Amino acid sequence: MAIDSQNIVSRYLQRRVLLLSLVLLALLFVITASLARSYHARETGLAAEWQQTGNTDLAKGKPGLAIDDFRNSLSYGPDDPEVQMRLAEALLADGRYIESHSYLANLWDQSPGSGPLNLDLARVSIQMGDVNQAIRFFHGAIFGSWDTNPALERRKVRLELCEFLLAHRRTNDAQAEIAGLAADTPSEDGPLREENGRLFLRAGEPVNALTEFEAAIRINPRQSQWLVEAAQVAFENGEYQKAETYFERSDRVSPSAAVHASLLLVRDVLGNDPYMAGLSDDEQARRFWRDFKQGLDRLRDCAGSGMANLSSSSPAQDLQQLTKDGQELQKRLNPALLARDPETRNEAMRFVFRVEDTTAKVCGPGTGFDQALKLIEARHEGSNS
Amino acid sequence: MSDPKIPMGATQTPAPSAAPAPSDLIEPRLKELRSLAHSFALSEGNLFLLLAIIIGMFSGMAVVCFRITIEWIRLGLLGSALAPPHWRILLAPAGAGLVVAFLVQKYFTAARGSGVNQTKAAVYIFDGYVPFRTVIGKFLTCSLAIGSGHSLGPEDPSLQMGAGIASALGRHLKLSRDKLRLIAPVGAAAGLAAAFNAPISAVLFVIEEVIGTWSASALGAIVLSAVSAAVVMRSFLGGEPMFRVPSYTLGHPAELLSYAVLGVVSGVLSLAFTKIIAYFRPKLRALPEWTFYFQPAAAGLLIGFVGLRYPQVTGTGYAYIDQALHSQYTWQILAVLGFAKILTTSLSFVSGTPGGMFAPTLFIGAMIGGAIGGLEHHFFPQVSATVGPFALVGMGTFFAGFMRVPITSVFMVVETTGSYSIVLPVMISNTIAYLISRAYQDVALFDLLAKQDNLELPSMEEQREQIVLRVEDAMRKPDLPPLQAGDTLARALESAATTTEEVLLVRFPTGRWAEIPRKDLPAIVEAHPHETQLREILSTARLPVLHPDQRLDDALRFIQGHALLPVVGRAGSRKLEGILSVQDILDAYQKTAP
Repeated sequence: MAIDSQNIVSRYLQRRVLLLSLVLLALLFVITASLARSYHARETGLAAEWQQTGNTDLAKGKPGLAIDDFRNSLSYGPDDPEVQMRLAEALLADGRYIESHSYLANLWDQSPGSGPLNLDLARVSIQMGDVNQAIRFFHGAIFGSWDTNPALERRKVRLELCEFLLAHRRTNDAQAEIAGLAADTPSEDGPLREENGRLFLRAGEPVNALTEFEAAIRINPRQSQWLVEAAQVAFENGEYQKAETYFERSDRVSPSAAVHASLLLVRDVLGNDPYMAGLSDDEQARRFWRDFKQGLDRLRDCAGSGMANLSSSSPAQDLQQLTKDGQELQKRLNPALLARDPETRNEAMRFVFRVEDTTAKVCGPGTGFDQALKLIEARHEGSNS
Repeated sequence: MSDPKIPMGATQTPAPSAAPAPSDLIEPRLKELRSLAHSFALSEGNLFLLLAIIIGMFSGMAVVCFRITIEWIRLGLLGSALAPPHWRILLAPAGAGLVVAFLVQKYFTAARGSGVNQTKAAVYIFDGYVPFRTVIGKFLTCSLAIGSGHSLGPEDPSLQMGAGIASALGRHLKLSRDKLRLIAPVGAAAGLAAAFNAPISAVLFVIEEVIGTWSASALGAIVLSAVSAAVVMRSFLGGEPMFRVPSYTLGHPAELLSYAVLGVVSGVLSLAFTKIIAYFRPKLRALPEWTFYFQPAAAGLLIGFVGLRYPQVTGTGYAYIDQALHSQYTWQILAVLGFAKILTTSLSFVSGTPGGMFAPTLFIGAMIGGAIGGLEHHFFPQVSATVGPFALVGMGTFFAGFMRVPITSVFMVVETTGSYSIVLPVMISNTIAYLISRAYQDVALFDLLAKQDNLELPSMEEQREQIVLRVEDAMRKPDLPPLQAGDTLARALESAATTTEEVLLVRFPTGRWAEIPRKDLPAIVEAHPHETQLREILSTARLPVLHPDQRLDDALRFIQGHALLPVVGRAGSRKLEGILSVQDILDAYQKTAP
């Protein structure tokens, strides 16, 4: 009986202690919760403060200080991807590529589709000399997600990638990227089309470049810079009629001596090229004859300038030979013969081109008509080859 | 009107003519109490499990408060930057050292040290008794020491605080002595689980280092307390793993060789670290008692000087471990930080400053691991990974070598980082470090510290390594085949005449065994005809059987009351492998005695 009572009393005591424990537990919960809440608030505040300081230091060009600031921030909020990203960028700016790569790689594991992250990794990979990796991350950035203005950000990344590829002489890859860039460019955005054109030019694709410049001009026909660029590309491509059109429009919109000179040159080419399609026989014969006469004038001027006598070089000797040949040809040729005999035409033009080549070496490059003749030569040889 | 003394619902009886006996008055109340008690009846076993959860919750919250207090103190004394201003780093650990030493010497003497051995002492010496004053002392002194920059960690103190909370609850609930002994490890697991956010490692550590056995009763409570502590901790401080690591993949199998090198280096360095502590700790303890008031301050001052150049080696260093895991340091810096941390941790620990060794061990391991990784990567970039994975593996490796808990160390790396991909290198490296440490240092660190404190605590490592004697080591062949149940009494008499054994073993076709003591045989023969089959005489008797792989300790329990027992194979109890007597067991123990 006594033992039974003792057991019951003991069990009662146990229950009371258990109940008391639960009360204490609740009390401790309240204390811990308030402690934790205040500490988390302090942590969040400190993380934000250090992040702000880091941003300021980075903006001031002090990446070393910014690294410490961001690390301090991360010690209070280690999971903040934005701070991790900023730290990686600060490390990158400070030239600490391996450390930066490590942080970014960790972030990339968590969000492999992030555009900014892939871009930073691409930049780090460039610095670490891993070109293929860099290209992979550039593509990750192009096809990745961007919080604000994704189209513009993707274009920026692609431009950076193009620059990178061009700098590394990976022209084929660059051309493919620029083509992609052009395909994604809104058709109504003139400046972007013009930018594409420039890139195409740098990648050795003048035809595509001209297409982009022309597209830009269609959007804003009075943009003189674009007109000049289109004219120059057309000129380089040998599309003199287009070049004349664009130089002329540019000269009208914004007259300049250089553009005017280019326009005159193009006109010289267009007005004196005997091989141009669609010319009447008479006109063609007239042009052959005019070109021949100009060749003789140029030869005479150069031979009489004194430069030929000073030189005993091979071109100077060629000049003497040319003078002799010119005299012979002059005796045989006349406009009627040129109009009749294609072989004589070719002979005359071969003479003219030799004259322009040789006089350019002996007396310096020709100007005006002579320059046009050089261009006609290049154009003709290009079409023959 | 009813008598107010009679409870509601009870039948009112007419007043007796004579005064009632006291027992008659008490009986109804007892009945009522009994029924109430039965309605909430909990066996001690169930109560213990419930208590384990409560302990886990208490410990979890205590550890949360502990960690937050450390952080508040750090912010107050050192500021919010990872690299504090010079004057703070020089003065804070020294000043805090003075206060801590005063508190420890005057009020909380049991708060000295890491806390692991104190918990073991509670289990093996003091019947699970950990004074609650120690919990308070540990909380105050450790948070001040660690928060001020002493190179110590909060994990081992958390373990001791958990044990203290559990012990206090157990005492108030008047648990039996057995349960009281068990309750300290239950609390220890909870404390550690909350401190590390790693319940599996906590359970394994307590089993590997504190109680040493996988007993089902202990395991259930330990797991419950560890899980509830971890849940509570996560609800307050977040569930993310302690460290965030970059993803890792084993590039080439040859990479494992470079991790093996890390195992060798970590093994040697952990050995050196143990020897430094083992050498200097008793030297400082032997100094006059008044110096105890100044030793932590002096250590703090020296730590401050080191911290002026390398602030990373002050405090717990978790943030810097994270940086090492992200390859944020060159291998040269990592090596310097590793050695500097060995120095500062040794100073803090041997000076008697309260605080744990877990965090510094992880720090040193991460730095040394990273340094080895960086060095190997420099010379063999194809074979070796970068710094980060080596720092990760290094944490576990140094821990395995220093603490001598190889299994815990593997799980700890997995749990604290949430990364399973690293487990193969961790296993290889940890094993090598552990074996080197064992080969050149007979006694593990905690056992060594216990011996220095004149405590005879059982070494879990020695227990694991002890040779276990089994039945096959003691059994012998019988000198004649056993009798069959169908044999006659006359056959039994013949056998008895040819054997020296005290009993005759009888085998039944069902696999049951029985015995006939030789001394009883004459009486049986008198009572039964000679042609009586033995199964008629031994109809109900059943003899326990042993198996060759059973432990001799277990065999002792079965053999009580029997002269000998049959040893049979596990494939079928009809085949007699041998016999075993008490004398055989004693002889076997005698042979293996040191």
